Amino acid sequence: MIYSHHFPNGLVLVAEAQPWQAGVSFEFLVPAGAAFEPLPGAATVLDSWCQRGAGEYDSQALQNAFDSLGLQRDNGAGVQYQNFSGALLAGDLPAALALYGDLLLRPHLDEAELEPCIELAHQDLDGLEDAPADKLFVALRAGFYQSRHGVSALGSHQGLAELTPELLRHDHAARVVPGGTLLALAGRFDWPALLAQVEQHFGDWQGQGQLLGAPVTRQGFYQHISDESAQVQIGLMYPAPAPTSRDWYPYSLAMTALSGGFASRLMTEVREKRGLVYSVSASPAPVRGGGALQVYAGTAPERAQQTLDVLAAEFDRLSLGLEAGELERARVGLMTSLVMSQESTSARARGLLRDWQLFERFRSLDEVKQGLEQVTLGEVNDFLARYHFRDPAIMTLGPVELDATAFGIAKGAAA
Amino acid sequence: MNFQQIELANGLTIIGEHNPQAKSLALGYFVRSGARDELEGESGVSHFLEHMLFKGSDNIGALEINREFDDIGAKSNAFTSEEVTCYYGAVLPEQQARLTGLLSQMMRPALRQSDFDTEKGVILEEIQMYQDQPDIVLYDALRPLYYGHHPSGQSILGTLESIIALTREQMLDYYRRRYAPNNLILAVAGAYDWQALLEQVTLLTKDWQPAEIGRLYPNHQPRQVNEAHFAEQFHQAYIGMMAPGVAIQDPRRYGADILAEIIGDDENSRLYWALVDTGLAETASLGHSPEDQSGHYSATLVCDSEQAELVLAKAQAVLQSVQADGVTAAELSRFQRKLAVSTVLRGETPYGRLFPFALDYLDNREYVSLETTVERIMAVTLQDLNDLLALRPFDTMTVLSLRPSSALL
Repeated sequence: MIYSHHFPNGLVLVAEAQPWQAGVSFEFLVPAGAAFEPLPGAATVLDSWCQRGAGEYDSQALQNAFDSLGLQRDNGAGVQYQNFSGALLAGDLPAALALYGDLLLRPHLDEAELEPCIELAHQDLDGLEDAPADKLFVALRAGFYQSRHGVSALGSHQGLAELTPELLRHDHAARVVPGGTLLALAGRFDWPALLAQVEQHFGDWQGQGQLLGAPVTRQGFYQHISDESAQVQIGLMYPAPAPTSRDWYPYSLAMTALSGGFASRLMTEVREKRGLVYSVSASPAPVRGGGALQVYAGTAPERAQQTLDVLAAEFDRLSLGLEAGELERARVGLMTSLVMSQESTSARARGLLRDWQLFERFRSLDEVKQGLEQVTLGEVNDFLARYHFRDPAIMTLGPVELDATAFGIAKGAAA
Repeated sequence: MNFQQIELANGLTIIGEHNPQAKSLALGYFVRSGARDELEGESGVSHFLEHMLFKGSDNIGALEINREFDDIGAKSNAFTSEEVTCYYGAVLPEQQARLTGLLSQMMRPALRQSDFDTEKGVILEEIQMYQDQPDIVLYDALRPLYYGHHPSGQSILGTLESIIALTREQMLDYYRRRYAPNNLILAVAGAYDWQALLEQVTLLTKDWQPAEIGRLYPNHQPRQVNEAHFAEQFHQAYIGMMAPGVAIQDPRRYGADILAEIIGDDENSRLYWALVDTGLAETASLGHSPEDQSGHYSATLVCDSEQAELVLAKAQAVLQSVQADGVTAAELSRFQRKLAVSTVLRGETPYGRLFPFALDYLDNREYVSLETTVERIMAVTLQDLNDLLALRPFDTMTVLSLRPSSALL
């Protein structure tokens, strides 16, 4: 059973009941991510600054209060949102909500606590140099998206250096707001009591956040970043159907056949048959109003060109359609995940979040199940023939540059 | 929850934790063998063999195995550690027989030469992938430095050289030594059918022959070591520390786990407040790993290379001050609760229960339910922690720093 409520201040609460569980998982999405931040890195710094004291608690007392509840927690800034997630025993939820009320509405934003937050953000950014795959995708997303979807929440050293307490306090007041914020929750709770608690702690919160529109993308180019890493990192991005498009379920099933299981095409052709890689994947990375397919392979320099060429051949072959067995395997995989998600509070809380981000509504498991069940092989193959994944944005990072002509792309070219 | 256990005539032990409310079941073969059981010249064979089991038996090939996993919607994988190799999957209850059949067939691999040669390429790729990950490079170098010639220091992945030199015959020899049924456990959790499982596994494993299996437990005397290595490819400093902890067989391990959290959890520990809160280090954490007849604490520090000396000195001061002054009752109670809640939440799914209950049983031959785990965590006293600190574990530490510039060494 899914309950939801829209508060007058814009806050949306959604909760899925799993009364047999001992615990509850929840997550706030607040529209204060990097997309509209005043300086590169501001969202990340604000996110960690808010953790350093709120309401009647100083920095350490706040963490002690969280730990006294046994709260498992995480927080961070992404492109659109800052997220604050938690999981704990059901009886402690009211106390946790009170603490999150302090954290979101009444952070101290004490000037003495700001400098370490900025220093840590500089180090996080330096850490990217030691994480080649992450570094590649930060660059690739920036190249692929012409809209703000391509910004990185890690920011820039220059942006971080220019941050001031006033700027961040103003940003907090303007963007850490209920309009556009979601609280999603799954597990054991009493709905009327939950509504009253959320009203009590967040009812007076005011303000309207800004959300990204549909993405604008750029494709048909290849760029190389020279790096002394052991492997060559290969990244591709394709535009893909939006979550609300009629192609969504055929697309989801086709991509599962391409990369979802042990017998998927990429695993079979790139790893099993040829031993070219340890990791290869194609993952849908949709945003509200748009789709994107993110492809990754990591491989030794001497195998990198062949790996890229095999990827090109697989995307060409995709337009010829799937076999019936491939579709059925993809369907069983997605349906099984759906059933298993019901066993886990965190999986269902994440499912609700994702629906809200992508569909602007909450789908019941039955609806998703039906969506997957109804798709025929003809529909999937019609989609693949019509959509034809071509002209990706390609980037590589590593000791050797590759040739992308198998994709019909000359180096540096942009469509 | 209801525990079930049986030992078959061939020595294979089957254990189950039944949860009729679950919507799925998780099932896995746990082999009591890993990098520490490799002989000279075999470095990396446990992990390579794990890959080879997915290449099939005499009756089934790699592509068919992969298809069967996908046909039944299994969420499957395998892992190799220093001590255990595990093959597992989670499925809906109606697929129990097919998952059981598939994993059981995989346990008797053909080890075809052509598959061996192709998969060698994948293993070499995996090793190179990890060469780009500083935390893995650090840990891989720290462990042998701490354990010296003790087998617990042996590498899981092996090296490019050891894998290139490894032959199919060596793998077959390792397999025959280590994969006998009396060195395996088949564990299942969730909504399974016990009777059907017993009948199927008894039949499938009737030809499996037990063997004499040992494991070496030489003495290990931790030494005070402090080394710095030049790692030009990285941009930050990565510092690892290892110190003696307690074994998985030791009832004090629950206390050691809590002690490690008090000192080095991610968001509210002694190391956090000294190093991360102040902006000196991006990461400063300590964990405790109870293993078979030994255990260790290990710490990781990540910081700007120019701050490395300061960060290391401050981290060592934190450890010394905990050792000298102990921890507080408030710290104990906060982390007890945090650990207990995390245990409960992880136990929501059969998949989350499979590993804790099977790994406990593997080394201790003892079933520890989720409730018992929580009770043991909550029963730890301040005296228990002070007794662990009285052993002065942080006096004999192995420290390894990876630094991007030789000028700073």
